[in-house]
Amino acid sequence: MKDSCSSVSELLEKYFDQEVTDRERFLVEGHLQDCPTCRDALTSMEGLRTLIKVPVEEATQQEDFPWVWQKIEREIRLQEKVSWWQSLRSWIHLSPLLKKKTWIPAVAIIVVLLLITTQVILKKTPSYSDASVVEYIESETHNIMVYESEKAKMTVIWLFDEEDEEDQELSRS
Amino acid sequence: MRRIFPILLFILSLSLILASLSYAQVQVRLRVFEASNVGTGIDSSLRDMRDQLKPLVDFSSYRLLKEETPTLYANRPVSFPAHPGRIIELTLIKQDKNVADVRVRIKREQMDILNTQVRLSPGRTVSIGGPKHGEGVIIITLSGQF
Amino acid sequence: MDHEEIQLISRCQQGDQEALKEIFDKYHKRVYRIAYGVVRHREEALDIVQEVFVKLFRSIKNFKGRSHFYTYLYRMVMNTAIDHSRKMGKQFVSSLDEEGSFEPSEEIEKGPERILLQKELEEKVKWAMEKLPIEQKAALLFREVEGLSYQEMADAMGCSIGTVMSRLHYGRKRIQELLKDYVGPPGQSSGPSNPLKGEGVR
Repeated sequence: MKDSCSSVSELLEKYFDQEVTDRERFLVEGHLQDCPTCRDALTSMEGLRTLIKVPVEEATQQEDFPWVWQKIEREIRLQEKVSWWQSLRSWIHLSPLLKKKTWIPAVAIIVVLLLITTQVILKKTPSYSDASVVEYIESETHNIMVYESEKAKMTVIWLFDEEDEEDQELSRS
Repeated sequence: MRRIFPILLFILSLSLILASLSYAQVQVRLRVFEASNVGTGIDSSLRDMRDQLKPLVDFSSYRLLKEETPTLYANRPVSFPAHPGRIIELTLIKQDKNVADVRVRIKREQMDILNTQVRLSPGRTVSIGGPKHGEGVIIITLSGQF
Repeated sequence: MDHEEIQLISRCQQGDQEALKEIFDKYHKRVYRIAYGVVRHREEALDIVQEVFVKLFRSIKNFKGRSHFYTYLYRMVMNTAIDHSRKMGKQFVSSLDEEGSFEPSEEIEKGPERILLQKELEEKVKWAMEKLPIEQKAALLFREVEGLSYQEMADAMGCSIGTVMSRLHYGRKRIQELLKDYVGPPGQSSGPSNPLKGEGVR
């Protein structure tokens, strides 16, 4: 190894990573012309980069990420539900009222009251005809079509851009 | 007994409040998806919607953009961005047993693209479609979870 | 960061899942590359991708825009991949590992000879990477796979440029030592072309 190798060897990796200044690049390239050892070292680094990079690139190119986004959405939804439940649990733990053993007769009273309330609600409620699903409808910007299917239990409200109708008129004429 | 009484009174009040609140709330399922004739992919969760809409509209591709399941309380609007520049606002107007009247407003900037009130009941879906989105259209479906 | 990306991040910070989907479409391959580079296992890498975007949605409110978004994301990927590796018991901690010992996996025993030997070399690289301390592994992945600059790596790894250079240097040196035992001296290798010697570089 040449004496100048010791000064250039520190720069060799920076040169390989394209992080050198113009002056440093000039120094390294000048040295490389005459030093097979440093050239081998550079080649070795290039080979290592290939070995590390290529399998990862190939794996990424072959990957079609099946259902990954759907799973992410589902996980976010689940976490939102869990955090609501955790807040409630922490509130229950903190609440002094619920720590006391007097909650047993209290729960019994609640159950009875809820049963009574439910009976009252059920008796009061009239049954609605579901013949009419759309109570009212209006739009400032679109024409509207409403389609109701009793059989499919489906109601479709379709909005037409005014310019769509113009295009249809133009194409018909 | 003196110690228990305030606790029981609190629980009694709470149960009455809960009973009255449960009288006027409904959980809805809101889905926003893009339907187009570009491509042939369909999100598996949308197959039921595609089959229902087929008599009216039949696109080759359905892609789910957003799904929310908010709980609506009487006269408390809940808003969501529906797609860039638009907001969908849901308000529970009234609710009786398994029927809920919900006002649906879709707004862009300050304009009402749609202002409607629909009645949701078990098994019924309301679909609102038509606004352009990219190469296709936006379809919004709303159903009650009773 | 361009204006479009700033808007996207802002929407995501307000809970817009559509914005998250756009971020996912833009970055999921990069995230996968890093994850795969760390764990070298398809299903685990996909799990990491999923975990990263879920975490991102929760924590993006903390992103203040002081660095590039992708360096913020890369840091998240790397931390998630490291945690995942630790849970799976793959983290390099043992000093009792016998250097140079290498047990090829069973599947290497099958198939045409040339492809087998290439596969064996890749397995060896995978083994050698697993021997590295995680900071050196991260530095190599960021540089060799993602092509990040030293400054970008420093932002992603939360350290100085000097530390980045040191990790790269020692990581490369260690890998070359580990692989030197396997690949023979120039011209005498009985295996396929030896990329470390500049033969058959793809």
